Amino acid sequence: MFTSIVKRDGRIAQFERAKISEAIYKAMHAVGHGEIQDSERVFDHVYEILESNFKDKRPTVEQIQDAVELALMKEGFEDVAKAYILYRASRTRTREMKTGLMRIFDELTFADASASDMKRDNANVDGDTAMGMMLKYGSEGAKDYYEKYLLAADHARAHREGDIHIHDFDFYALTTTCCQIDLIRLFSGGFSTGHGFLREPNDIRSYAALACIAVQSNQNDQHGGQSIVNFDYGLAPGVKKTYRKSLISNTVKAFKLLAPECDISKDSVKLALEHIKQNTGTEPSIKANDEFSAAAMAWLIETTNSEITAKKIFEFVAREAYAETDAATYQAMEALIHNLNTMHSRAGAQTPFSSINYGMDTSPEGRMVVKNMLLATERGLGQGETPIFPIQIFRVKSGVNYNDGDPNYDLFQLSCRVSAKRLFPNFSFIDAPFNLQYYKPGHPETEISYMGCRTRVMGNVFDRDREIAPGRGNLSFTSINLPRIAIEANKDENAFYNNLFKKMELVCKQLEDRFEIQARKRVRNYPFLMGQGVWIDSEKLGWNDEVREVLKHGTLSLGFIGLAETLTALYGKHHGESEEIQQKGLEIIGRMRKFLDDRSAEKGMNYTLLATPAEGLSGRFIRMDKKRYGIIPGVTDKEYYTNSFHIPVRFHISAFDKIRLEAPYHALTNAGHISYVELDGDTAQNPKAFEAVVRAMHDAGIGYGSVNHPVDRDPVCGYTGIIEDVCPRCGRRENETISPEKLEELRRIYPNMPCLIK
Amino acid sequence: MNSVAESKKYGAQNGTYGNGVKFERIRRITGYLVGTVDRFNDAKRCEESERVKHGTKDNA
Repeated sequence: MFTSIVKRDGRIAQFERAKISEAIYKAMHAVGHGEIQDSERVFDHVYEILESNFKDKRPTVEQIQDAVELALMKEGFEDVAKAYILYRASRTRTREMKTGLMRIFDELTFADASASDMKRDNANVDGDTAMGMMLKYGSEGAKDYYEKYLLAADHARAHREGDIHIHDFDFYALTTTCCQIDLIRLFSGGFSTGHGFLREPNDIRSYAALACIAVQSNQNDQHGGQSIVNFDYGLAPGVKKTYRKSLISNTVKAFKLLAPECDISKDSVKLALEHIKQNTGTEPSIKANDEFSAAAMAWLIETTNSEITAKKIFEFVAREAYAETDAATYQAMEALIHNLNTMHSRAGAQTPFSSINYGMDTSPEGRMVVKNMLLATERGLGQGETPIFPIQIFRVKSGVNYNDGDPNYDLFQLSCRVSAKRLFPNFSFIDAPFNLQYYKPGHPETEISYMGCRTRVMGNVFDRDREIAPGRGNLSFTSINLPRIAIEANKDENAFYNNLFKKMELVCKQLEDRFEIQARKRVRNYPFLMGQGVWIDSEKLGWNDEVREVLKHGTLSLGFIGLAETLTALYGKHHGESEEIQQKGLEIIGRMRKFLDDRSAEKGMNYTLLATPAEGLSGRFIRMDKKRYGIIPGVTDKEYYTNSFHIPVRFHISAFDKIRLEAPYHALTNAGHISYVELDGDTAQNPKAFEAVVRAMHDAGIGYGSVNHPVDRDPVCGYTGIIEDVCPRCGRRENETISPEKLEELRRIYPNMPCLIK
Repeated sequence: MNSVAESKKYGAQNGTYGNGVKFERIRRITGYLVGTVDRFNDAKRCEESERVKHGTKDNA
């Protein structure tokens, strides 16, 4: 019979009865079930197991612990066994703690981002800079801590082994994902960034500047992106104020030149405007209003005593004030784009992830904002570069901008033209039934909003009267490795669904655990988001109040990746290949949605289904699955799992079929979705073809979509378009040089080229 | 050239321009754009390279 055992580090030690029975008793004591004599009895059972299994061979520590678990269960101490298993798991984690993290720090420190996939986890964080690296140290350290100390053991294991993926895990205990910001509310009366108070803005330039600051400030309180829900409605008052100012100053100027004897000052114009407002209820507007014009003319005639002079002044002012306001709005939009592409957040490691939604405001001021935003985007950054931020989302709606004759149809057409050149705007569709159900004309807060990467927050089981976009956002999301469940089901549909629901239950529990951490935070933990009343109802809370109740307006989202691989593993084909399989796909996603709807009803909180964007995730799951299951054709035979419910990127299919097949999944994924169509350069440059694709999305019931096409640029000559190997403008290949003479020659033809030679 | 950074950006060398300057290739990955494919992680880079175009004729 053995008398010694093998320790974890391989050393041999004496087998000690006391140590083992003591551990058993401790576990019993912790659960409150069992006495000393019980622990002795269990030990005897352990010894029997070991004796029959090992005879003269030395057991390892792990094998002894396995025997303890078994003996506890056999002796009727299942509850103690469970506690003992958890205790073992936590001890294992404590041991692992001493190893992994430092190795990760070592890779971060010494590997170049181009060689380290970890450092390119998120393409918009520069992992090579000092601040980017600092963020990475923090992020990797935090993840290690959460996994070992904070997460329930089964959630930690599922995340570690790639059954699920907890997104933004580095921020697990810190904050929530994102928020849809209402500019009108925020600006009213001014706001504080935490570093200083800003007055309510007074012209379009300051409106635009403050919009950027709002995004930046809020980004520092959350781990996801920031979306402005009412970009056009929100900035329109800035245009109005600018126009009024310009009208006043141009009136003074015109009087100085044409009727100096009247001695008209700014104050006298303001007084006149005040009178007009009292008498007619009208104010200056960039779109001529007959009643206002008549009243203004009357005042001008009365003041100048000359109809001719009055008319001259009127026409001059109308023309100049409009032109000045238009130019100021353009400059403001240009500055906003520049700001959002260069301003820093999160200790300088990132530009804020900003999105803006617009397209529905039919007021002349709102239209002026959108027109100039689109024109400034079309023009590009300083040297004609394509702006990366903000993500722009044009809301499409029939009766407003979709059809010829709709008041904003011109803006829709312009948005197609700009998107064909700059990839933005993307398009969201209010007419899709699942978006239309919330829409109430005249209530912009009921217009669907999308966060740039796809997040959508609209329905609200927590408060049915507040099914609106502003002030709400996602709290956190976790994705399921759907293909793995399919692989393990081994073509057995029932096994697949059984395991799927188990995994969904696990994810919901984990989301609830995370919510509990988030809910215990106080307003002061989110100085901007909650402190400035950006989040819905947060203005009703005090600085030290818990945010639990107001957070319930947010969403807990469960995501999925790789529907195409899932279907292939289960049925041998994906949904692009067969209508029958498309139905199977819809059944899977439909049942997932039902599960979450049921949970929402049960808990009174918003559990929603997300078509996961999967930037970092696309490679992570499949790498693990390849190791586990080897290469399975159509499933693990590449470097990435397919984005959410998308038709695989390498599958040949027409744009219209792709749209038709993906649209029904938009209706099911209420936490967000996006469909892409890839066009070649020539098609993208054909305005009719481009618009036809967007219209097909609208008509098919897509919620959010965009058109991809190649946008390349040669920084030297500034050419933007498609570049294969040779730049069509300057004839340069990558890395090749070009003479200053040639550049000067080109500049005569293309005056907007970057100016290299000063 | 205004600055050292600019002359690096445009590859100014011995009176010529473009030395070592690559083309920028802007692509959309998860709804947002990324300025150059170099910053993509391996999986996304691979996905991007395998994307096929979608025709807009009904029989495409």
